Amino acid sequence: MTELEIPVEKWSGAVRLVTLGATGDGGTRTSTVTVGGETTLPFLHFEGQIPNAPVVAAEVVDMHPADWSPALLEALGDDTRDPAAWARKMVGLGADLISLKLRSTHPDQGDRSAADAVATVKSVLAAVGVPLIVYGPGVVDKDNEVLVAVADATKGERLALATCEDKNYRTIVAAALGNGHLIVAQTPIDVNLAKQLNILISDMGLSLDRMLMDPTTGAVGYGVEYTYSVMERLRLAALMGDGMTQQPMICSVGEESWRQKESRVADGVPESWGEYATRAVVWEVTTATALLHAGADILVVRHPRSIAQVQRSIAALMKGV
Amino acid sequence: MALTGLQIYKLLPQTNCKECGFPTCLAFAMKLAQKGTELANCPYVSDEAKASLDAASAPPIRLVAIGAGERAFEVGNEVVLFRHEKTFYHQPGLVVRVKADDPKIVELTARMVSSYAVERVGMSLRLDGIAIEDSGGGAAAFAAAVAVARSAAPGLPLVLMSTDPAAVGAALDEAGADRPLVHAATAANWQAMAELAKKHSCPLAVRAESGDLTALADLAAQVQDAGVDDIVLDPGTSDPAGMLAAFTQLRRLALKKNYRPLGFPIIAFVGAGSAEEQAAMAAEAITKYAGVIVLDGFEPALIYALMTLRQNVYTDPQKPIQMEPKLYEVGAPTASSPLLITTNFSLTYFTVSGEIEASGVPVWLLVADADGMSVLTAWAAGKFDAEKIAKTVTASGLGGKLKHHKLVLPGYVAGLSGEVEEELAGWEILVGPREAVEIPNYLKSVWKAD
Amino acid sequence: MAGRTPKPKAKVSVTFAPHGRTVHAAAGANLLDIALASDVKVDAPCGGQGRCGHCRVKVEAGTLRRRHNPKLARAEEHEGYALACEAFVTGDVTVSVPTAEEIRSRPRPGTAAEKIALPFHCDWQRHPAIRKLTVHMEPPSLADNTNDLDRLRRELARQHGINDVVVGVGVLRTLAKALRDADWNVALTLDMRNWVLDATVPPRLLAIDRASDTSPNFGLAIDIGTTSVVAYLVDFATAEVVDTVSAYNGQISCGEDVISRIVYSQRKGGLERLHHLVIGTVNELLHEIAGRNKIDLTDINEVTAAGNTTMTHIFLGLDPKYIREEPYIPTASVLPRASADWLGLDINPHASVYCMPSVGSYVGGDISAGVLSSGLFLTDKLTLFIDIGTNGEMVLGTKEWLISCACSAGPAFEGGGVRDGMRATAGAIEDVWINRETYEPTFRTIGDRPALGICGSGLIDLLGELFVTGMIDKSGHVDRTLSSPRVREGGHGYEFVVAWAPETGRGHDIVVTETDIDNLVRAKAAIYAGFRVLCTSVGVALADVEQILIGGAFGQYINVEKAIEIGLMPDLPWERFEYLGNTSALGAYTALVCTDMRHEVVAIAKRMTYLELSADNAFMDEYTSALFLPHTDLATFPSVKVQVETNGTAARHSGHRSRAAQRVSAEGDS
Repeated sequence: MTELEIPVEKWSGAVRLVTLGATGDGGTRTSTVTVGGETTLPFLHFEGQIPNAPVVAAEVVDMHPADWSPALLEALGDDTRDPAAWARKMVGLGADLISLKLRSTHPDQGDRSAADAVATVKSVLAAVGVPLIVYGPGVVDKDNEVLVAVADATKGERLALATCEDKNYRTIVAAALGNGHLIVAQTPIDVNLAKQLNILISDMGLSLDRMLMDPTTGAVGYGVEYTYSVMERLRLAALMGDGMTQQPMICSVGEESWRQKESRVADGVPESWGEYATRAVVWEVTTATALLHAGADILVVRHPRSIAQVQRSIAALMKGV
Repeated sequence: MALTGLQIYKLLPQTNCKECGFPTCLAFAMKLAQKGTELANCPYVSDEAKASLDAASAPPIRLVAIGAGERAFEVGNEVVLFRHEKTFYHQPGLVVRVKADDPKIVELTARMVSSYAVERVGMSLRLDGIAIEDSGGGAAAFAAAVAVARSAAPGLPLVLMSTDPAAVGAALDEAGADRPLVHAATAANWQAMAELAKKHSCPLAVRAESGDLTALADLAAQVQDAGVDDIVLDPGTSDPAGMLAAFTQLRRLALKKNYRPLGFPIIAFVGAGSAEEQAAMAAEAITKYAGVIVLDGFEPALIYALMTLRQNVYTDPQKPIQMEPKLYEVGAPTASSPLLITTNFSLTYFTVSGEIEASGVPVWLLVADADGMSVLTAWAAGKFDAEKIAKTVTASGLGGKLKHHKLVLPGYVAGLSGEVEEELAGWEILVGPREAVEIPNYLKSVWKAD
Repeated sequence: MAGRTPKPKAKVSVTFAPHGRTVHAAAGANLLDIALASDVKVDAPCGGQGRCGHCRVKVEAGTLRRRHNPKLARAEEHEGYALACEAFVTGDVTVSVPTAEEIRSRPRPGTAAEKIALPFHCDWQRHPAIRKLTVHMEPPSLADNTNDLDRLRRELARQHGINDVVVGVGVLRTLAKALRDADWNVALTLDMRNWVLDATVPPRLLAIDRASDTSPNFGLAIDIGTTSVVAYLVDFATAEVVDTVSAYNGQISCGEDVISRIVYSQRKGGLERLHHLVIGTVNELLHEIAGRNKIDLTDINEVTAAGNTTMTHIFLGLDPKYIREEPYIPTASVLPRASADWLGLDINPHASVYCMPSVGSYVGGDISAGVLSSGLFLTDKLTLFIDIGTNGEMVLGTKEWLISCACSAGPAFEGGGVRDGMRATAGAIEDVWINRETYEPTFRTIGDRPALGICGSGLIDLLGELFVTGMIDKSGHVDRTLSSPRVREGGHGYEFVVAWAPETGRGHDIVVTETDIDNLVRAKAAIYAGFRVLCTSVGVALADVEQILIGGAFGQYINVEKAIEIGLMPDLPWERFEYLGNTSALGAYTALVCTDMRHEVVAIAKRMTYLELSADNAFMDEYTSALFLPHTDLATFPSVKVQVETNGTAARHSGHRSRAAQRVSAEGDS
């Protein structure tokens, strides 16, 4: 029989290249991370180019997250009391970059000041050489206050400021524009809303190579299929040449998956759920892998074993055939 | 290739006789295009039209049944590459592999696999089968292991893993009536394997090496020529990248090229790594086209996550996204926080909860089951009326959570407030704003706990 | 001005006809500026931005340098027409300017006060529905003692070849006296509708008059809208519309939309009340039309009525309850004839009343009638027929197939759910332009009254203007940084002041708020999503639609250009759009006079496929996609894309550029 003709799609578009972190011009990183550039669906090396592997960001919080799952706290140890040490540890465990959540600035979580937040960000920047994604507390007014202060104080670092949402993006975008940073545009699991926010932000003059999109993550068992399909659709649209869907995608895998009962509760659950520590890690890895195959470029995860496994998977998937 | 509704319509009699159960020929044609009905329902279709429609509607991936009886499962018959294009229909069977050499372990594993069940969103999820792997102990030992598994787990579908026709023959003499999946026919043994599969009417997996799809197609064609119809494909890849490439190419060949020799479901092996390594491989297999997934050993923590992911991925994405109807806490509401009600359309929920969050006022947000419709649509369709609102409040388990009895209705159903007040004795019914964007203002300046 | 004529300015003389006024101006000056400076009234609501096309003048002598503008057809240019704002004087010239009266009375597309005619040729003469025939009988005698009715039948057969006739008891009661009063020479009014097509179906006797009686023979075609009721009085002898009348549907006090009416109908006595209200409205119209035309209402011998499914149900006294509830089915789609006295209509009590058949619960007889009168059922062209109101109903198809759907747009286009929205009555702002540089609006009201509010077409205009001038962004949010007193934060978020209190007839500012804008965007998104889903459902592209027929009472007031700008209508060449006026009333009229069309409309309703959108996730997806200006996928709106890119934020932030400079970059000189 003759050789089979493998159907190959001729995509006209590519995922946009986005570089996080800067090593000069105000940037103090020792290395940068570039994502995007794919000209095919995830890991289809036979069809197109995948110049940059997806990357793993480790989640670090600026205060000891006492409410986190015991399995996580045990694995992370005492370093959770110092964001700089925590970040250093995660880089040592193989994280490509750090996602720093400024949770303590939340009005209900200590309401620390923007100046405190700036100090925290600076300490983490000093502790690690990898790029940073910085999340505000998730409350509109405080997000604006904190992220603007951080953006001003770290001009040129190419931080990714998170998150811009349709109700609140102008201030953060302006701060990114003025200080050479990036933003993360988050929309609630909808292709059109994602695209609309990209358009609105780009209409403000922020260049598209400074934007990541977060289509909102659902964990396995908690809406992962919606995220999966929205991401798949966004990626297909990007490859078909729709310029407003070509932003690399970032997923908060750790936050979503560790929030669920399966990852938090060891006792008093059905036996068929299996052994707790394994289940919790598997939950994070399964969520991460599914989204990797839907087109995730940056996966934010929490557990050291997850970081290791997702990195192994990415390395294996990047081996062309 | 799939025809559009209009293309099918042109082949139909266009008499709108309604005998098919649809009001018009076009409605029937559109449903046919979505594979929601069968051509046989049209009593007047011409033979000519029938021939061309049949050709277009033959499933590009054959539906293959594995096992017999109640626990048998079907895989294949998929029509899309991406679930959002339609849906994935037949979820992959999850089976657990066990080596044949220790009958005790075979028995124990079979029992555990067979009895494993986990509840999720009101459904009982179960494993689909057990794969007995020949460990080279000879035909009799293999057949004995299969017999042990059968008696330990009656009715549980089997995968017989051996490339030795003698071993498979002996095992099929034992379990052939159960329609086990035989794995695998290879370039070296296919004649004998095909003979056995045909004799016992069993599905047969064909295996190539390292993703050689040309060889796989040859093998599948040979086996089919030998009289085996139910085929499962194993491209022989064991690494994530190779598996993804091979599985994607198989699915594309079947769907886009309508390439019949490879129009069969695929079997995946996730290897023998740690739980998280297997999880990563299996998650890939679930999302990317596997029909049967073989896990290495019985590990409930892994199985639970995979069955959940499988259930998620095989949910019909054409159904509107609905929120679970229940009481949500937005912020950290207290006994004197306001209580708002809305419907379970996801976008409505996201908009309302987003505005509440933005307001900084913690709120109890009660989400009513309105079939995933927005407030106005649900009201128009009679799915968000006074009775439904009252029922939702009563069944919400609000109980002692509130020290007030005030419910805020969406402004769009202001007209229902009187009726709701009648249905909910002792409650004060307030009318909130029509538009979500006005909620912050309402919460800050209008709403009062007392 | 334009700054593109650098040479020293020679003086030229410009004469404006018919005023006869001659002024001197510098060569190269803009004609509109010259006119305004000379107190010559030229209508320019867009303020001379080249966007409204209203300031047209005709060159009578001499020449003008002018830029091509899409508002002016090439043919018109060749005839000598020019837009004053786009014209520059180069030498002595005489132009004629339409007078104020001409401007006022200029019909908008499709609103021409032309005679209402049958929309296409049909052979009504050969198959008249209601006919008057004279019959002469010998008086009965002892020798010929056949009873009255058989005598009539006998002569009808002998003299007209009509072998049988249906006579109801009501008519029968009058028979004996009528025959004798007429001295056995009678004029019969017969409903021959079915007989003309199938002679085995006997005609129905509607009235008996003296043979000498020359009273006319009228029919009535009614459009029963949720908001208003329109009636055409038709002379069966000529098939012409004698007069038209309209009034608000008396049911409005019981709710503005069909769902509210259905809810009302479930109250005790609610259905009866609604039924009597609409019958009352029709009777009022009848008396108005009778008084005006000095006719006797009993000379109206047949009625056809087109309305949405709910209105039709209530008109006939059928319970509409199940229209609203899943699985959304009406009592009947093809409705039996009703008699006028049974319904309580003040016309010939024996007249038949025929309701146009519906397709589904939300695609009613008004739409079947629309498909009939629009000729969609006869065309080879891929056609989209739309009727926009509270519900947007639409039909896609050709003569071979038809598919329809309805999407709930909400009341925004009828002025509902919008702070200063109102129905299209006197004082409603219906036409708005906003100046790009000053953000000052100019508007017109219906009847040139002080503004009372904004009607649907005005809201579409306003939304389009706010968008193309960059005052709101693509998500409909007002630009907070604009320095205009008209942009301000109101009690309900940001708003734009369309008219200051003193300019209005209401004593307060007329504004459009961000919430109003949201509502409008949702309304337009629902309609556009309907178009897309309808096309996708049968596998055709919206861009392949060859003609878009805009029907319905509201449709004729929509400015297509603005409707495209906001993404309500697909971005197709303007010539593919056609306004058809009140297609529902026209359809009822067509079915009234053309016997075969009465059967055709039933066939249309039966073969039209109804697509239920509530069962369709694709609709939600398209809807979200359309919740953006003009659309999330800007590539599907190429002409708007050009505008947005040319005139968008860049122009706004570049300071005070002259409008000429802006326009030159867009089009260049011609």
